[in-house]
Amino acid sequence: MKRLLLGAMALALGASPAMAQSLEDLNIQIHGYATQGFLYTTQNNIFTTSSSSGSPAWSEAVVNLTSQPTPKLRIGVQARYFLLGNFGNTITLDWAAADYKANDKFGVRFGKVKIPSGLLNEIQDIDPSYMWSLLPQSIYPISSRNSMLAEYGGVVYGTFKLGEKLGKLEYRGWGGEVAIGPNDGYFLPFKEEGIVLPNGLNLVDSGAALHWKTPVSGLMLGLSFDATTKSSASLIDTYVVPAGPEQGVTITTPGTLVSTPVRETSLFGRYEKNRVMFAGEYTRIPTSAMLNGLSPYPERIDRRAWYGMASYKVSDKLTAGVYCSQLVDHQAALGPARYSKDWAISGRYDFNQFLYAKAEEHFIDGTVIGYDMDMNLPTAQLPTGLEPNTKLTILKIGVSF
Amino acid sequence: MKKLLFVILLLAAALVFAASVDAQVIVIANPGVKATEVTKNDLRDVFTGAATALPGGGSVVPVLLKAGTVHEEFLLVYIGKNDTAYRAGWRSLVFSGQASMPKSLDTDAAVVDFVAHNTGAIGYIGKATPHEGVKVLAVK
Repeated sequence: MKRLLLGAMALALGASPAMAQSLEDLNIQIHGYATQGFLYTTQNNIFTTSSSSGSPAWSEAVVNLTSQPTPKLRIGVQARYFLLGNFGNTITLDWAAADYKANDKFGVRFGKVKIPSGLLNEIQDIDPSYMWSLLPQSIYPISSRNSMLAEYGGVVYGTFKLGEKLGKLEYRGWGGEVAIGPNDGYFLPFKEEGIVLPNGLNLVDSGAALHWKTPVSGLMLGLSFDATTKSSASLIDTYVVPAGPEQGVTITTPGTLVSTPVRETSLFGRYEKNRVMFAGEYTRIPTSAMLNGLSPYPERIDRRAWYGMASYKVSDKLTAGVYCSQLVDHQAALGPARYSKDWAISGRYDFNQFLYAKAEEHFIDGTVIGYDMDMNLPTAQLPTGLEPNTKLTILKIGVSF
Repeated sequence: MKKLLFVILLLAAALVFAASVDAQVIVIANPGVKATEVTKNDLRDVFTGAATALPGGGSVVPVLLKAGTVHEEFLLVYIGKNDTAYRAGWRSLVFSGQASMPKSLDTDAAVVDFVAHNTGAIGYIGKATPHEGVKVLAVK
């Protein structure tokens, strides 16, 4: 399916010049951006980096190419290099799609497409488009964002005017296959138990979203619903005997991961007027997974997350903001590993159209998001390897064109 | 008393100047565009990528100025954003695969030429710029 879609995209891109149109007629555009971040934490190491010593292991570079051979048809592709600690360090396909917009009421996009769920999912990896260095991790976790960003399938979209007194209603509906790679942060908890999924996990996904642009100027309210079907993938459990006569012997056991359907509901809103912006979102993700073939290892989660954010444009070049982001897993045992509460203070300075810098300070309570065991080894004094609180400082510079 | 009168005159002059600032930018469209007037909301939708048509006016394609006082004034008065915020909005659309960046031109004359020769094109220029071959849209 993926190869077929990518082949079709390549064919479409390659076939366009064959139509003897000039580059000008095809309206070809090339855009890109690159960012470099620096992380420092007062306590734990975050995002698989050695942040407690200060880490520059956060780099991204994106290039996109689009062509618009006719006013209603666009074809495009975007590639990304992403490195965050031990995640990424590879080039991936962000999206590659053909988009036919018949009119403002109906359009369709197909190929590898961004999933337009929630308030920020479509743009959560587009650093130049927002002021924050790190979006609220309760809903947009950077270490596993690839699992929710895009799918091989299609999106239909459009806008209906509801009349002068009722505003406008934007709709999006989507369906396709989400491919989560074996090294995605989504599988980090399994990896730390010695369990790998060599082929990753593919999920059939569908959903819908409504954005109501209310008659109150600048106020948008929305909701989205996303569902994945039951899915399974092969896994390999690796166990090294720690002691005894067989110490050091590696035992591998094959098995199967069975993921139950996930139904995610999000409610969100945003108010943007002149120099101020307020936004908020709530989402709930209840799901479970079973590892068959190994000793019983059922995992259940019921994550309920929200954030509220505000920003103020201090001047044409400087924007400042604050957000509070919280997540509680109602299926987890009591303790810091059950929740995450994060207050962030942020600022962005745009030197010009192309170059910007960001600075952000986080006050994080709880350990459910962003930490791995390898970079936070247990000690006698700290059996979990994690302090319950940490402060995170982020500096980032970016360029886009 | 003279000082007070002077201050009042100065304020009045400032107000007149401020009012005339709005009038320094005009919105132009290809003669094939059916609409003769637009609302601020319609204009904002078209120039932020939220809409590709004007009510009763058919499909339109926005064209921008790259920089300058006319560009900044247009964004401030009709879009309600400065250039940085405006381009950040477009980058969201471009990098998420939802739209292509509108064409940006260097001069008012280039905008007039582009709008005159491209069906559905809509742009903005300084009021003093000659604009033969295009129609001026009244903004309500």
